[in-house]
Amino acid sequence: MASEAKKETPSSPEKTLTGIKSNFIDSNTILVQRTLRAGQKIHFNGNVVILGDVNPGAEVVAAGNIIVMGNVRGVVHAGAEGDTQAVVMAFRLQPIQLRIANHITRSPDEEEMSGTYPEVAHIKDGVVTIEAFSTGGER
Amino acid sequence: MGEVIVVTSGKGGVGKTTTTANLGVGLAALGHKVALIDADIGLRNLDVLLGLENRIVYDLTDVTGGRCRLKQALIKDKHCEGLHLLPASQTKDKTAVNPEEMKKLCQDIAQEFEYVIVDCPAGIEQGFRNAIAGADKAIVVTTPEVAAVRDADRIIGLLEAAELRNPKLIINRFRYKMVQQKDMMSIEDIIDILAVDLLGVVPEDEQVVVSTNKGESVIQDERSRSGQAFRNIVRRIKGEAIPLMNLNQNGMLNKLRRIIGLK
Repeated sequence: MASEAKKETPSSPEKTLTGIKSNFIDSNTILVQRTLRAGQKIHFNGNVVILGDVNPGAEVVAAGNIIVMGNVRGVVHAGAEGDTQAVVMAFRLQPIQLRIANHITRSPDEEEMSGTYPEVAHIKDGVVTIEAFSTGGER
Repeated sequence: MGEVIVVTSGKGGVGKTTTTANLGVGLAALGHKVALIDADIGLRNLDVLLGLENRIVYDLTDVTGGRCRLKQALIKDKHCEGLHLLPASQTKDKTAVNPEEMKKLCQDIAQEFEYVIVDCPAGIEQGFRNAIAGADKAIVVTTPEVAAVRDADRIIGLLEAAELRNPKLIINRFRYKMVQQKDMMSIEDIIDILAVDLLGVVPEDEQVVVSTNKGESVIQDERSRSGQAFRNIVRRIKGEAIPLMNLNQNGMLNKLRRIIGLK
């Protein structure tokens, strides 16, 4: 089942390494090498890696994790099949809306979010939390 | 049972969406229950103008496709009590809905709201036919340009063919000075061609750009001239007889100039 493989992906280093050897793509992860513009949508039953931006009006829905090597200004939904362990990571995380499993958060109405460093969003104590991304952590 | 009004123009960029947003806010500010429907599927804008983009979970096609209930898709405005938005889908296109579904949707929404305003996409294809399917009344927006008036004329013909008679006209982005210098079509010229009732004239106003980019509505700006024009239009929609506002921005100044012989 896809859900089993999905759970392994973030925690098992061997699996990740294999992924790197096969050009970042295993059976459970897709690599998108372009910017997603308004109206474009990616829906994948696994992890999604994007080498580009996710512009306002674009949408990424993944059963697993979403990693964006660029700006996220659109809508992202990780763990869309209910996986509350899923994460969204981006170089600049400024989504209009960010969803993980059945949690929905939206950008604040007034001030601009000013993250100029890579951030990761995950569910912590039942709340979607955005933190600066640091290597060597648990995930 | 509420009234379903479609805001249409034929030509793009004349201010359909801005008009829809302002009329919605204006009617809601007077205490009415208002729903705005963005029928521009695939190129939605109304949510951005109202600053509600970050609240969208379900959209119009989810409602017509039975993936959610109407109540789930309707978004409450953040400033204005009584104003609701049914957003369009951004990732689908005009063929995702058909006129029968739109008609049913408009009827359902009109059960609960006094005014339902439909923002029509540019063009005369399926998106237009969807948008007008459930409408009781039509408002045609045009600017004082030959191309926009030509398209408005075509739209009025199509509306009449669809049994939507006596549409009301809004002339947007009107520049009094240019008309005086005979560089722009006058109100009379436009009415002469289109032969429909005039609902209002909105002067060109930079403030519209400012408010639009902030997700606010110019109608809430007491000092703005275009806001005043929209407030007048709202009251005319309610059936009040409000005279056209004085479009000559420098009325007193011009009079003075004439007196001292500068003009």
